[in-house]
Amino acid sequence: MPEREFLFVPYYTVNTLTGTKAARVVSDPVEAAEIIDRARNPLYILGPEAITAVVGEKLLLEYVFEIVKTNNILTCATAHVKKKMLAFGKRPDCVYDIIEIIHFLKMPDWQGVRGRGPHDLVLFTGVRCDLAERGLATLKHFAPHLKTFAVCRRGHPNADYTAPVIPRMEKWREYLEGIIKGLY
Amino acid sequence: MSKTEKFREKINAIIRAEESWEAVGQTPLPQVTDLRNWDFRLMRTYRPFYAPFCDLCCLCGLGKCDLTRDRKGACGIDIATQQARMILISCLMGAAAHGAHGRHLIEHLIEKHGEGHPLDLGDQVNVEAPIIRTVLGLKPKTLGDLRRAVEYVERELIHLVAATHTGQEGSNLDYESKAFHAGMLDHVALEACDIAQITGFNYPTSVAETPLVELGWGTIDRTKPVILLVGHNAAAANSMTDYLRRKNLLDKVELAGICCTALDTTRYNEGAKVVGPLAQQRFFLKTGIADVIVTDEQCVLADIPALAKETGAALIAWSDKICYGLDNVTEKETGEIVKMITGEKKQVLVLDPDKAAQTAVETALALAPTRNKVILTPEQAVEIAGRCRRKCEKCNQSCANLLPVATAVSQAGEGKLEPLADLFRKCTGCGKCEAACDFNLPILKLMAAAAGAEKYRMRVGRGPIHDVEIRKVGSPIVLGTIPGVVLFAGCSNYPDVGDVAWMAEELARRKYIVCLSGCAAMAAGMYKDADGRTIYEKHPPSFDAGGVLNVGSCVSNSHVVGAAIKIANIFAALPGRANFELIADYILNRVGACAVVWGPYSQKALAIGTGAIRWGIPLLLGPHGAKYRRLFLSKKEYDDWTVIDGRTEQLVDTREPTPEHMAIVVETRERALPTMIKLCMRRNDTAPGRAIKLHQYVSVYKEHLGTLPDDLQNFVRTERDVPLVYKKEVLAYLKAAGWQPKPTLSLPTIIGTYETKVPVSATLR
Repeated sequence: MPEREFLFVPYYTVNTLTGTKAARVVSDPVEAAEIIDRARNPLYILGPEAITAVVGEKLLLEYVFEIVKTNNILTCATAHVKKKMLAFGKRPDCVYDIIEIIHFLKMPDWQGVRGRGPHDLVLFTGVRCDLAERGLATLKHFAPHLKTFAVCRRGHPNADYTAPVIPRMEKWREYLEGIIKGLY
Repeated sequence: MSKTEKFREKINAIIRAEESWEAVGQTPLPQVTDLRNWDFRLMRTYRPFYAPFCDLCCLCGLGKCDLTRDRKGACGIDIATQQARMILISCLMGAAAHGAHGRHLIEHLIEKHGEGHPLDLGDQVNVEAPIIRTVLGLKPKTLGDLRRAVEYVERELIHLVAATHTGQEGSNLDYESKAFHAGMLDHVALEACDIAQITGFNYPTSVAETPLVELGWGTIDRTKPVILLVGHNAAAANSMTDYLRRKNLLDKVELAGICCTALDTTRYNEGAKVVGPLAQQRFFLKTGIADVIVTDEQCVLADIPALAKETGAALIAWSDKICYGLDNVTEKETGEIVKMITGEKKQVLVLDPDKAAQTAVETALALAPTRNKVILTPEQAVEIAGRCRRKCEKCNQSCANLLPVATAVSQAGEGKLEPLADLFRKCTGCGKCEAACDFNLPILKLMAAAAGAEKYRMRVGRGPIHDVEIRKVGSPIVLGTIPGVVLFAGCSNYPDVGDVAWMAEELARRKYIVCLSGCAAMAAGMYKDADGRTIYEKHPPSFDAGGVLNVGSCVSNSHVVGAAIKIANIFAALPGRANFELIADYILNRVGACAVVWGPYSQKALAIGTGAIRWGIPLLLGPHGAKYRRLFLSKKEYDDWTVIDGRTEQLVDTREPTPEHMAIVVETRERALPTMIKLCMRRNDTAPGRAIKLHQYVSVYKEHLGTLPDDLQNFVRTERDVPLVYKKEVLAYLKAAGWQPKPTLSLPTIIGTYETKVPVSATLR
């Protein structure tokens, strides 16, 4: 079994971990897909970079649409993401700002989006990295009942699982497509 | 006489209890735990939310202690309590910075005018110090009375600092209560400080339409000697104005400032220039335009001595807060100091603002003709940027604002300067990118060259809101027909400097009252419309619907909190004297106001924000605000929103989450706008008032999120609340959402829902 890699210093140095509990790096998109697939009630949180960042020919948001489609994963549109989702004909399952949804997620008795019960895995994409990192720190310390996965090419030490730091856009596209392929 | 009676007698003497302007309320000169029940009641609805910055506690010799996975430190502290402790420490830093600033200015002005110098805020301001009146129970009449207020702050601060020691407090809620206390003390210090300088320096007061002054680098005349003032304490700057005036040199020397010293200098001398907010400090220092740099206190870069040397500018530090390891030459003659600076190239510490002022002027006159102030041209920027290889991205990685620096620099190297100019508006000026660059590119200078030197105008800080303005708008604010009062305060750690102007404009055109202070007041002025007008030239400066006001510097934030207090005290005639809970309860339930710190970085802004929350004013923070590591959030519609109807004294479950949160971070300006609108809703809104607020909420939400608000059902109490323009679709939405009417109250209060000495009947006046 390969040795596990943990992320202490991500792409942005402002997010360098000052602590002991670091995210496990999921370098293989197939493994990332397995983690998502294993979850009973995952929630995908979408931040505003998802509606502006272009990866290859598509918006980052469109890759997320592919990921959530596979397992009917619930979505939370934060910031002003909702409008763009609607433009693609997709309606988010809930609309909260990032701190609000994290506030709910840290309550172990919260019955989750659409009342389907507590979420066991929360995925993050497109949230401003320094803000996402703080939110992930909240969940790391105060929501031991769930796991977090930062699907972000800059890496997030405070998540339970994180994509590796992927500076090159082409590799990032391959990673996202690898997850999608792994889920189908 | 018992101990308690003796203590009360002492308090009575300090606040001159025998004066009959109002009866003394329940909490004169409140001590650390006197408002604890109020704080705990707030936190019952608005729970602390923590985002730890660090997994460890490194504060004492028992550690380091790992606080992950429910572990406790060697002292027994857990992760939540440690966060709250750090919050208290930060609030204390902020309150101490403002308190020390106030203490210095008050002593400085007492030295000039005497402690019996009367406080005079003009014919429009009778309630001169609403915060001091409400918190202390003292009606200050002289500079000496302001000293009493600051002495109270100092006494309380020592107890709060003590509580942060290892082995003291063990509850996160109690640490938060203490942080609220620190925040409230901060407001006392702010008010004392600004009243002192308004009175002592004769700043504008009792006038709304203050002059427009020049803002931006482009306004600085480089052909003249330039003195740059950096910081928050304008004592030396104002002394410079006096000296220049005496010497008939006022139009021959450029006095320019960064941060709040700039704002307060323009309150004294409308010919002074405002370079810009804090984010522009390093940029401007690197240009070398300043011949002499004069530092005072707060938010001043720690490496200014090195930056000054880099450009050949002289440096004079005059505050005991920032001595930079420089030789203290205060006792020497001015002429001798000038020779040391110009001849020996020494940077000096002059701990006397008047002497520092004279030295600065004489040095600038001597030095300016010898200096060659050449700034980088766009053509040179293209050439230098061409040295970037864009392979390493170290500049990107080190950027504290997560900006694509590498792309912009490499594009500049190809002749495209626009991305770099765009970066300039988003850059917070930390300079980490330059430090990280393997090619030693002067990235900040490149940005500045690409952006060019802009010219703007901003209004001089006006100080207090007038009593007559409060009488006029008190009713429409409380009824909700003026949809809200929004204060933009704090630092310039913005995602984009243009955000403040954008949000302020959106709110002003929707008839909110927009108040600005400090760096936010400058940032709001740094945008022009198609006709070349800044926000200050488009909107009236009065405290009225659609007004846009610059109240002044950081310490002037007190006047906006003061306005909320005055609504309770003047409009609603509630007795404010030593009646903190009664007034804060009124603000929380009836005054539609919120504070916005869109570019938070400083401990001072945290103290201001935390104080505002204790007063019942919700706080919205920009994305960097998450680094403060604590917010106050409700569970929205899932919470208990029971209050007391002040008229019947019965508990009523309103099922209405207003205000929804007391401190929240928002990621984008598009999301911030509807959030501010929500934070200005109050249970007390009349149906027409709520309909106006909901109209704004719906229209903004539709514009930026594409649909009717997803939580609209939470804020409609009866069909009469539904805005007419959207009636049909809103009613259809409410039906689909299973909405049920909610009770409406004209006198909601949380007094009586917790243990307090204040009777519910006190809320009815």
